[in-house]
Amino acid sequence: MQKRSDDRLIAYLDGELEVAERREIDAWLDADPAAREKLAALAASANLVRLAFDEVMHEPVPDRLIAAARGEMVLPEPGGQVLPFKRRRGIERTTGTHHWRIGLPVAAALFGLLLGGGAVYLGAGKLVPGGMAGKQPALEAAAADNVWLDNAAGYFRLLASAGDNGLIDVPATGDPREALQKISQSLPQEVRLPDLKPWGLNFRGARLVVAEGRPAAQLVYTTDNKAIGPLTLIIGSSKQPDISPTLATRQDVNLLYWRHQGHAYALVGQADVGYLWGIAKDVAWQLDAI
Amino acid sequence: MSIRFGDQLIVVLPRLRRFARGLAGSAVDADDLVQAACERALARQHQFQEGTRFDSWMFRIVQTIWIDQVRSRDVRKVSGDIAEERLGSDEPVRRVEARLALDEVRRAVDRLPPDQRTALLLVTVDGLTYKEAAEVAGVPVGTIMSRLARARIALQLQLEAGGGMGRSTKDAEAQ
Repeated sequence: MQKRSDDRLIAYLDGELEVAERREIDAWLDADPAAREKLAALAASANLVRLAFDEVMHEPVPDRLIAAARGEMVLPEPGGQVLPFKRRRGIERTTGTHHWRIGLPVAAALFGLLLGGGAVYLGAGKLVPGGMAGKQPALEAAAADNVWLDNAAGYFRLLASAGDNGLIDVPATGDPREALQKISQSLPQEVRLPDLKPWGLNFRGARLVVAEGRPAAQLVYTTDNKAIGPLTLIIGSSKQPDISPTLATRQDVNLLYWRHQGHAYALVGQADVGYLWGIAKDVAWQLDAI
Repeated sequence: MSIRFGDQLIVVLPRLRRFARGLAGSAVDADDLVQAACERALARQHQFQEGTRFDSWMFRIVQTIWIDQVRSRDVRKVSGDIAEERLGSDEPVRRVEARLALDEVRRAVDRLPPDQRTALLLVTVDGLTYKEAAEVAGVPVGTIMSRLARARIALQLQLEAGGGMGRSTKDAEAQ
């Protein structure tokens, strides 16, 4: 009898009982404080189990699994490290220059704190201590990154608060390629459109924005899945050196940004970081951006 | 290979990894399991029936491969030994309390029998209905219900016995 009660109590908690059975359990709970206590403990332990495994969803998916899903092969990395992006059809191993750097955002955040508002002055060649002179280009690049990432997060917030199509310059009505062609006319180079439908993300249109002081396209994707979207992908041109995909946050907005062969990319949204890593990998794969 | 099929696989990868992590215990073993499942799915994609749930089909493949591994390597014994060793080993002194508590939960899940662990991961962690979980596990709904109940009660007893229930709840709330 005790076992049966446990079964039913747990099924009640999981919403698996029919109406009549539910009423029986409701009556039982009303009459028995011990049953209520047991139900509360079961609910708490279920919540803990979910939490215990939830962090896996926030981890980047290793490239070997992405490759396996696409029916490709990637040679294993010693020590089970997460592999860097691979070229769309490449199967050769790359060396450490393009590794995803989990530690980099932390370092960048500390670096940003140290720089603070002085970054502008450093960029202008003022207040640079003698020993720092050789590091000035790196500081300038870091300051520039801060500015354009601030802007990218701001563009996202504007769009998210404006709602459907509110601020989209070129809505994707009909053939999305037309929207891309129109926005590309204002850019130094043509923009290609990553297909994010497998993630449940629909392309809604594009905006003209500024990234690294140059015109860039902000591609807008929306979805009914609030855990993922809306998302924006900024694609612009860049004269800065290539960098590996790097995570940054601006309040409640997550950004994954990288530069590759004269292009700057930023995937921006409020999705869990795990999703962003996965989507960014897919984008890079499709655009051959890494 | 159908591009759509591969794309569907990529979308479900995070959930497969979470399911596999619960089954296999370690991150590396779990990813090996998911990789093997992807390869098997691609080889047998003609067996997938359009209109049915792709995620359930993949969960089933992961579970089948894992059961094969359990049977061939007696994984239960190995994982039990490791769990006890971990409990008695020196934990880093400054380990974050919340992480400790969640580790304790994962170890408790790891000690469950394979069939109960599978039911728990499918229903409680991934949110499948009893019917969906029964289809994945290839058993009647009533069996899932009883496995799940045994798993949940055993888990609660383990956490209470280790003092983890109070601490875990408190730490989890603090997260």
